[in-house]
Amino acid sequence: MAVVEAPLAAAARTTDAEVQQVRTAWWLTAPALGLMFLILLVPVMVACVLSFTDYSLGNPGFNWVGVDNYDKLFNRSTYEKMFIATFTYVVTVVPISVALGLGAALLINSVGRLGDLYKTIYFLPVMATLLAMAIAWEFMLHPSIGMVNRGLEMTCGTVLEVIPFIANGCADRFPLWLGDRDYAIWVVCFIGIWQGFGFNMVLYLAGLTAVHRELYHAAEMDGAKSGWDRFWLVTWPALGPTTVFVVTISCIRAFQVFDTIEAFWPQGGGPNKSAYVMMFAIFEKGIQQNLIGIGSAITMLFLVFVMFLTLIQRWLVERKVHYG
Amino acid sequence: MTRDWWKHMILIIGAIIVIAPFYMMVSYSFKSPGEIDRGEGGFFGRQELMVDERCVKLRDPNRDEIAAAAPNYPGQSDNEIREAIIAEAEADCSMRPVVFNYSKAFTEAPLIRYLMNGVIVTASIFLIQIVVALPAAYALAKLKFWGREAVFGLVLFCLLIPVHAIALPLYIMLAKIGLTNTYAALVVPWTISVFGIFLMRQFFMTVPDDLIDTARMDGMSEMAIVWRVMLPTAIPALLAFAIFSVVAHWNDYFWPRIVVTGNRDLFTPPLGLREFKGDGDGSFFGPMMATATVIVTPLIVAFLLAQRRFIEGITLSGMK
Repeated sequence: MAVVEAPLAAAARTTDAEVQQVRTAWWLTAPALGLMFLILLVPVMVACVLSFTDYSLGNPGFNWVGVDNYDKLFNRSTYEKMFIATFTYVVTVVPISVALGLGAALLINSVGRLGDLYKTIYFLPVMATLLAMAIAWEFMLHPSIGMVNRGLEMTCGTVLEVIPFIANGCADRFPLWLGDRDYAIWVVCFIGIWQGFGFNMVLYLAGLTAVHRELYHAAEMDGAKSGWDRFWLVTWPALGPTTVFVVTISCIRAFQVFDTIEAFWPQGGGPNKSAYVMMFAIFEKGIQQNLIGIGSAITMLFLVFVMFLTLIQRWLVERKVHYG
Repeated sequence: MTRDWWKHMILIIGAIIVIAPFYMMVSYSFKSPGEIDRGEGGFFGRQELMVDERCVKLRDPNRDEIAAAAPNYPGQSDNEIREAIIAEAEADCSMRPVVFNYSKAFTEAPLIRYLMNGVIVTASIFLIQIVVALPAAYALAKLKFWGREAVFGLVLFCLLIPVHAIALPLYIMLAKIGLTNTYAALVVPWTISVFGIFLMRQFFMTVPDDLIDTARMDGMSEMAIVWRVMLPTAIPALLAFAIFSVVAHWNDYFWPRIVVTGNRDLFTPPLGLREFKGDGDGSFFGPMMATATVIVTPLIVAFLLAQRRFIEGITLSGMK
């Protein structure tokens, strides 16, 4: 009897311990779970529901308006401008900041110890408060006293005047930059790239340390003589996972651009709404004008874009974009 | 080296463009309004004594003050006395541009208060994030329980939701319970860091089970294990996460802009700078750039001192 009982008792003890462990586990995860629901999931649902209403803060009730809000988003010219501005920004900033990040990483990796100095410098904008730097850029781009136009004026009368842009500037005046609807969004893009490429650079530098040296030797044996060949044969495929990640995170960050726009044009999103990006639209419609229905609809679209991007990334990672 | 000259050329041009706005920001914070207008004075400006017009205007004597001061200037007409007082004020109000800019930065707006708010908000966010995320990460990594996969799946799903994107519904919810314009509003949306949970879970997975078993044998409770066994092993990851979190929230402008309206006591540094810009006239470029420099400096200095750690922390999000 005793022989049979002992393991049973042991089994009972382990189940006790297991039950205990399950209970503790739930206790430990409960705060995180609760907050995840309250702060992340409930708001998404709230936005989803409100996007079908005409709710305003302060009103006792609201009416269901069906898909009116979404209808407006796709048919009004303001929102057309919003989509154009947002996609212009994303489509410009992401490829250029990724390419510059990769280029900088490759150059820095190949110049030896001095490279660390460049790395430090290129990373500075990532650390700095973007709003402060936006204001600094605004001064740089000031039409009359800014450094940029002053610098351009100095080129007048030199050989550089053969460049049409400079010639026009010298003959008439140089651009107003932030006040000019042809330039505004590109200036914002430029600052986005200026701020973000250092981040991509350090990710690529981390990726590069993981590329095996033997691969380069092997590639050379196989006839990849030029650095260019070796890059496409070894480096680029080995950096596949890094690239997927860098592109996704750059996209998500680019979609969220706000600080520069709000700093330059507190009202209206730039000359002729040329820089009226989605985050600014959410802020202006939802918060400032209290049009919560339309703000929520923009929020939902925004979430769809971001989730879609991240899911593509995960899918690519799972397919193992990994040859190195 | 000679073969690499073109690489250095490109890198140096890049570095100049990257540094230009920093250079300008710091340089303007040293210069007098006139020098900024005319674009002269090099990096530091000439630092000639300048007169603070506002300060002089404040001390412009009225009739009573002139009468009160009359005994000090025997035998002079009121006008002469007035001029003498103003001359005195001008002497008192003249200072070097750099002193003018930085003292204005701290006196025109309660900049110290803003900086304190920044510290309070970033510190509370980080502490709460850790208190919430560590136990959850430990449970997900080391405890076996029914529903663990589901919870982890939820964490992975929530990683898809950027908090800035759902700012509007969060703002509505906070407004409904009357929390806008409070410290709580600045902190609450950031208390849950799904990324933190994910990161710490990945880290805890690498901690050997033996360590935990030994602690259990010693009779430690699970809570004690989290804080006294797991936390110390996770210091490097925590430090990286701290940098990630502090940089993000010190620099954040969007969320504070939404939930803090008008109440200057709650302004974080970026909001303070924004306000400065809003009501500044042209002559205030210097003090404004001084404010910007003050706000940007802490993180930049910390970064320069501990570069490796910072780069690790910021690129943490690249971990798989």
